[in-house]
Amino acid sequence: MRHTLIAATVFAAACTCAGPATAQTAELDQIRKDIQELRSSYEARIRVLEDKLKAAESSVVKAQEASARAEASAAKAETTAAQSNAAVSQSEVPPTSQTAFNPALSLILNGTWGRYGNDPTTRMTGFAPSGGDVSPARGASLGESELFLTSSIDPYFRGSLLAAITSENTVEVEEAYAETLALGQGLTVKAGRFFSGLGYLNSVHAHAWDFVDPALVQRAFLGPNYGDDGVQLRWVAPLPVLLQFGAEIGRGREFPGVGDVNRNQNGAASRAFFVKLGGDIGTSGSYQIGASHLRQHTAPGGVAFLDYDDQSGVTNLFSGRQRISGVDMVYKWAPDGNPQYRNFKFAAEWYQRKYDGDLAFDTAGLAATDALAARQSGWYAQAVYQFVPYWRVGGRYDRLRHGTVALNSNAANLVAPAFDPQRYSLMLDWNPSEFSRVRLQYNRDLTRQDIATGATIADNQLFLQYVFSLGAHGAHQF
Amino acid sequence: MKLSTNIAIGATLLLCAILAQATIQVFACSPEWGSLVTELAGPRASTFVATTALQDVHRIQARPSLIARARTADLVVCTGADLEIGWMPLVRTQAGNARIQAGKPGFFEAASVVPRIEVPTSVDRALGDVHPQGNPHIQFGPRQIRLAAEELTRRLVRIDPAGETEYRTRLADFTRRWDAATEHWAKMGAPLKGVTVIQHHKNFSYLFDFLGMRQVASLEPKPGVEPTSAHLRELVENQKSDPVKLIIRASYQSPAPSEWLAQRINVPAIMLPATVGGSEGATDLFTLFDDSIRRMLDALKL
Repeated sequence: MRHTLIAATVFAAACTCAGPATAQTAELDQIRKDIQELRSSYEARIRVLEDKLKAAESSVVKAQEASARAEASAAKAETTAAQSNAAVSQSEVPPTSQTAFNPALSLILNGTWGRYGNDPTTRMTGFAPSGGDVSPARGASLGESELFLTSSIDPYFRGSLLAAITSENTVEVEEAYAETLALGQGLTVKAGRFFSGLGYLNSVHAHAWDFVDPALVQRAFLGPNYGDDGVQLRWVAPLPVLLQFGAEIGRGREFPGVGDVNRNQNGAASRAFFVKLGGDIGTSGSYQIGASHLRQHTAPGGVAFLDYDDQSGVTNLFSGRQRISGVDMVYKWAPDGNPQYRNFKFAAEWYQRKYDGDLAFDTAGLAATDALAARQSGWYAQAVYQFVPYWRVGGRYDRLRHGTVALNSNAANLVAPAFDPQRYSLMLDWNPSEFSRVRLQYNRDLTRQDIATGATIADNQLFLQYVFSLGAHGAHQF
Repeated sequence: MKLSTNIAIGATLLLCAILAQATIQVFACSPEWGSLVTELAGPRASTFVATTALQDVHRIQARPSLIARARTADLVVCTGADLEIGWMPLVRTQAGNARIQAGKPGFFEAASVVPRIEVPTSVDRALGDVHPQGNPHIQFGPRQIRLAAEELTRRLVRIDPAGETEYRTRLADFTRRWDAATEHWAKMGAPLKGVTVIQHHKNFSYLFDFLGMRQVASLEPKPGVEPTSAHLRELVENQKSDPVKLIIRASYQSPAPSEWLAQRINVPAIMLPATVGGSEGATDLFTLFDDSIRRMLDALKL
């Protein structure tokens, strides 16, 4: 070890002095001196460490000998304990470097190869606005590279940042928040930008999804992770089963289903509430069920509204409120609660979305404004089974219901198709470690309708995806 | 079936006894710490044990029930050294319990106060699931348990000062019995000295260290990576140059790889309880050692 260090230093020195010839002699002397100094300082330090190690070893031996003489009295045993403790504290070298306080850092890399029969940029029919419905691109495409930093700030707070570097070379702050550690009484407050605690899938980052793409209902209504800038309060009840209540208020940075909106207003524009109940069923199973509700007003002046059939090609505005309510459940099973060899997971969610307000059709031309009331819903159910270590298969069914859309006089300008999008998905993934995943997925996509004929456009989609996790990857939620 | 009935009855009786007197709530990450808390706090503590000996503590999920139990805990006792890193940090941040945050007396990681073996000189994920702070399976180190018991008692006293006399008495009693037992195990396991073993994962390194046994290899090609046929074939080859006498797996590991190898190299393959509750005999920390050493002796007909 010592020799390697010295050799490395000499080598580094040799490399740096391959410069101009004139100053060489003086430089060489200086370098020789430096090396000599380095060598003696290293040797001194190593001697100190070796002495420390010897001292620690001998007291460990002493402690072992002492504990072997176990017939000794309890008082004597305590002395031994003190000795062994001394050994421990001696052999622990305190961290000297500032890097010891660096946040835990992890990086997610992911990419997809997608094959579609039809153009994936065509939106699903009958659900508007549905801003978040962009699927992985055709051909090879890089997904978002996620950078995650987290650390305790002090004894009272913990801070986290999750930034996504997109394949379009932009950086998005997905989450950046501080969370309390010391409130106690089951209370936690989170402030900043964060994924809402609504439902089950909403707060799960893309790299932890069980399928390449999010569920249709998640995409159409919350697309694909609804987050806000605001404050979240959570409370866990003091019970042997998990009963958690959460409330969030925020600026309404995103209008769910539309994406980012430009708000210039005081106060909170968005409120979310959720409750979760969970526990174990024997040692093999565990469950969590939840209910959630989100209400939000549009920004002053309304939000852009892509029409239901994607046909009119004009700019529309919606002003009013949106309410989303949902229920979710997840059940996990593993033999004896040991997921290593086999495990099973089932998850399902149902959401309903209501629009209530005014729709201005073709703001640049006709500017026909009338009331809009819409109630649409959707659900998915998915099951994933790990049948041998590292290999999982999964299936998912998605369905959206067009529900009722009352356009009033705007019915003359817009059509709300009576069409329920559906999708079947099958996936197989290989997880050689907790840090890597390669996945193959097939979708039978029935989310689009030929408006002219009323026929469903069936699409076969195939994806090959990798997800890699580098660094200190933290725990995943249930 | 009979075992589980007994366990159920025992647990119910224990629960009733505990509820009658319990003053502090303890969340133990694994059964060995639950057992240690029972030794050191007796009826003063009501203990919830988060995992069983049939589960791999590396791979537990942050289940809702764990968050609920951590919410009311006065003291969390875990192994540390990153063993529970996949779930405990999340359980603790979700629980909203200030008493169990880092730096509080209510958060105790036993590995932080004991010497650890197999501390890697370099860490890289290419080497598998390595623990930068050394082997975390410290429950099989008699000295480690003893040191953990002392620090645990200090924590108990800080959290529940009213019970100080009882905690001190219990610790003195425990260390006296533990030292005697340690001496007994050293004698009992003396025939195992120098015996060469292969273990599935490095669950028992502290026990081998204590008994002077020599581990030649692991069934896992790298820590946390399931045995591969290539690696097993390599172990069969190595048997000629560096023969082993015993193949050992823990109670939560599949018997298939060790049995496959046992047939090829014609040595016994046995299961040892990964922790308390991993076998019928291992009902507490003391019997965990008794049973584990007995199983090895029996397998080798010593």
